Amino acid sequence: MGLTIAFIFFVIIGRLFYVQLAWGRDLRMRAADQWNREIPVIATRGLISDRNGEVIADNRSTFSVFLRPNAVVNAEYTATILSGIFSADPQKLLKKIESGKISEVTVARQVEKDSIEKLISYNLPGVYYSRDNTRTYAYGDLLCQVLGFTSSDGSGVSGIEKYYDNLLSGKNGEIMYSTDILGIETENSKIVYSEAQAGNEVRLTVDLDIQLSAERAMKKVYLSSGAKAVSCVVLNPQNFDILAMVNYPSYDLNEVPRNDSETLNALSRNFLISDIYEPGSTFKIITAAADIEEYLRGNKNAFSDSYIFNSGRTRSVDGTTIKCWSDHSNGKHTNQTLADALNNSCNPCFTDIALSLGSGVFYDYLNSFGFGNVTGIDFSGEALGMLVPQTAVRDCDLARIGFGQTVAVTGVQLACAAAAAVNGGNYYIPHILKSVVSPDGVTVSENKPILKNKVISEKASEMLRGMLEGVVSEGSGKHAYIEGYKVGGKTGTAQKYEDGHVAQGKYVSSFVGFFPADNPQYLALIVVDEPQGTYYGSAVAAPVAKEIFQDIINVKNIERYE
Amino acid sequence: MACFGCLMIYSASSYAAEVQSGDSLYFVKKQLIGVVLGTAAMIGVCFFPYKKLIKLKFPAIIVAAILLLLVFVPGIGITNYGATRWIGFGGFSVQPSEIAKYSYVIFTAAYFSKNYEKVKTFRGCLPVLAVGIGFCLLIIVEPNMSITMCVGALMLGMIFLSGTNLKTMALILVPFVAAVPLLIILEPYRLQRLSAFLDPWASPKDEGYQLIQSLYALGNGGLFGVGLFNSTQKYRFLPFAESDFIMSVMGEELGFIGLTVFFVISSFIIFRGFKIAKNCDNRFGFLLASGFTLVYGIQVAINALVVSGAIPPTGLPLPLISSGNTSLIITMASMGVLYNISKSEH
Repeated sequence: MGLTIAFIFFVIIGRLFYVQLAWGRDLRMRAADQWNREIPVIATRGLISDRNGEVIADNRSTFSVFLRPNAVVNAEYTATILSGIFSADPQKLLKKIESGKISEVTVARQVEKDSIEKLISYNLPGVYYSRDNTRTYAYGDLLCQVLGFTSSDGSGVSGIEKYYDNLLSGKNGEIMYSTDILGIETENSKIVYSEAQAGNEVRLTVDLDIQLSAERAMKKVYLSSGAKAVSCVVLNPQNFDILAMVNYPSYDLNEVPRNDSETLNALSRNFLISDIYEPGSTFKIITAAADIEEYLRGNKNAFSDSYIFNSGRTRSVDGTTIKCWSDHSNGKHTNQTLADALNNSCNPCFTDIALSLGSGVFYDYLNSFGFGNVTGIDFSGEALGMLVPQTAVRDCDLARIGFGQTVAVTGVQLACAAAAAVNGGNYYIPHILKSVVSPDGVTVSENKPILKNKVISEKASEMLRGMLEGVVSEGSGKHAYIEGYKVGGKTGTAQKYEDGHVAQGKYVSSFVGFFPADNPQYLALIVVDEPQGTYYGSAVAAPVAKEIFQDIINVKNIERYE
Repeated sequence: MACFGCLMIYSASSYAAEVQSGDSLYFVKKQLIGVVLGTAAMIGVCFFPYKKLIKLKFPAIIVAAILLLLVFVPGIGITNYGATRWIGFGGFSVQPSEIAKYSYVIFTAAYFSKNYEKVKTFRGCLPVLAVGIGFCLLIIVEPNMSITMCVGALMLGMIFLSGTNLKTMALILVPFVAAVPLLIILEPYRLQRLSAFLDPWASPKDEGYQLIQSLYALGNGGLFGVGLFNSTQKYRFLPFAESDFIMSVMGEELGFIGLTVFFVISSFIIFRGFKIAKNCDNRFGFLLASGFTLVYGIQVAINALVVSGAIPPTGLPLPLISSGNTSLIITMASMGVLYNISKSEH
């Protein structure tokens, strides 16, 4: 009998040993799920700042309101009160409370303190609130298409906010407390607080001073020219850091027009990266660069810098006639060297270069300058541009590509190509992110310039710089000239096409400028879309570059070259 | 032991009681009445010569049978959780099946002590079997599977203890084994419980729920337990935390160590019970003592195995500990009888 008792005793004890000790850990883990409820602690979103740490996107503290349906006492009353305070649909809310499937309902995000005070006065069981943040942008519409905006739940929807959302968002924490089966907090609840991890600061390559100056200048030209839209990108040709990026008209990031999606789409589009346009004469920089490089390499089909181009106004290619924009009368555009052709922006000379180099050689340059391809900039939705495939290109196309027609580019594409042409021939991958800084101020990572490819030699680049400096000092770019400083550049005026035909009176006026011309540190592309009245790039766009460069000189205390 | 039961009931039920009836001591107050009555009964029985119980063999089973039948009388029987197991007078309710177990022991002990020779033959065992099966049938239609099984096991135990031979034992055992599948088929919920036992996580919200919650409680307790009053599972996660599943709460609060101590004490009670039976100089005393001990032992063992998920879940109180006054008073009274038997040995 004693043996039987002992046997049963040990069976029971053995079983309990197994359940409580061997299996215990696993059981506890499973059980924790039903014992605890969490209230999220929303992580502070990382700052966005300029290259010097000046904060552009910050956070303001607001609140989030949550509801735990099974702890709600009177569903209908709760739904009515909450929808009153937070202007929600009471029926929808009631449905959520009563569905029985959702353990936690988010009632409202990013609400202000006064509505929380109202909420507290009702003391509704099952309703909780916690800290939240709302994005604030210190400069309103500054850099708006680049920064982008966040959704009501605080995640990035467009621009940098979206592209670097994983860096900015951080990690939400939670307050965990134990409850009974219905989600009612128990009397000896152990509250576990797991801290939210703030997002990293994203430091852009943008220089706030330059951006502010560019914004100012672009707004001015937008108003004075009556243009449909204006854009400007300033970059550092030595590493392709984007120093400023402006698209105007713009919108205030603090008051995103969320209800008007059409307007919002139009205003939040980063034209310089996502849209293409026909560059016109600014493209001649590339044609000239190809010619100089080929000449230095000994290509017999290339023209030397002292070669005198045919002074005729027209060229006949494939039975079509290509004309210069100038009438070549009264000795204009005669006996031009390459430098003169750039100064005058004489179309036939560049037709000659393109045709003489031939599609094989010329396309090698177009490809290495990145046309028809993305630059790889750290931004969503980059357009490819448009370039007739080499296999399909006819001479009449090639002849026009030489002076920037029959080709479409993005602003960033053209600015990068021009920068590579004048910086010694180095094509880098452009970028907007400079570094990532942790919430406690430690630099987590730093973007280094990445050389994509070599486009031309240092020597060819130097020669080109000299010629482009001449364009500003004595040619069509003289409106960008600054006394005492070496500025180089090239103007462009392109006709716009609508439904395959030239649209009368619609132009894109542009200017690519850089300085100091002998060692370029700043390069700006100004694009003015459909200016009213005066439409030449030299008159509309070049003065804007001058204004921006002048500001840079003042802010950075750049000394005159003499 | 009974006071420890009160403490555990307080710990296990205070939260649920407060939520449900607004009085955190609801179950404890009820149980304290049982402790007082039980103690009175135990002391009373201590001085009551047990041999006189022989004369009560027929009244005992008749009273038990009547009580069992009363359960089915509308207005007297109380239905709870889908089973009609209680009869109520005024503010009190009594669970007749608890009484039936002990009545049966008295009857069997009296019968076999008188008809010592008959135990060897199947025919001789018939009255015992008839009463046992009769009780079983009455209890099973309540329905109360666990106590039915208890009475069944008790019946076999009693016949075995009274010294039957192997042939008769086997003859009795076979129909019993056959009855199990039959009973399961009769009530489909038993099959569901059986499958829930094999994999409780297959139906965590329904059949498997009770077992899962019990295992969570035991698992949470670990070696030393979370400490008295600190159970998490008692926050209404664990159903019947104050009655059938009180051992889960004990395991959670006092840990493996606490439960081991509890089983050492329980085993000691059982061991003492059989020792008293063995030392008794007459057959009736022997059978009565071992029968009462068996009732206690069977219940403790089945309860422990259910709670730890070793056998399929059935609702059976843990004697002396679980909330439920009928069980408490009668178990305490049976302890009194045991004491009385032990006293009269010498």
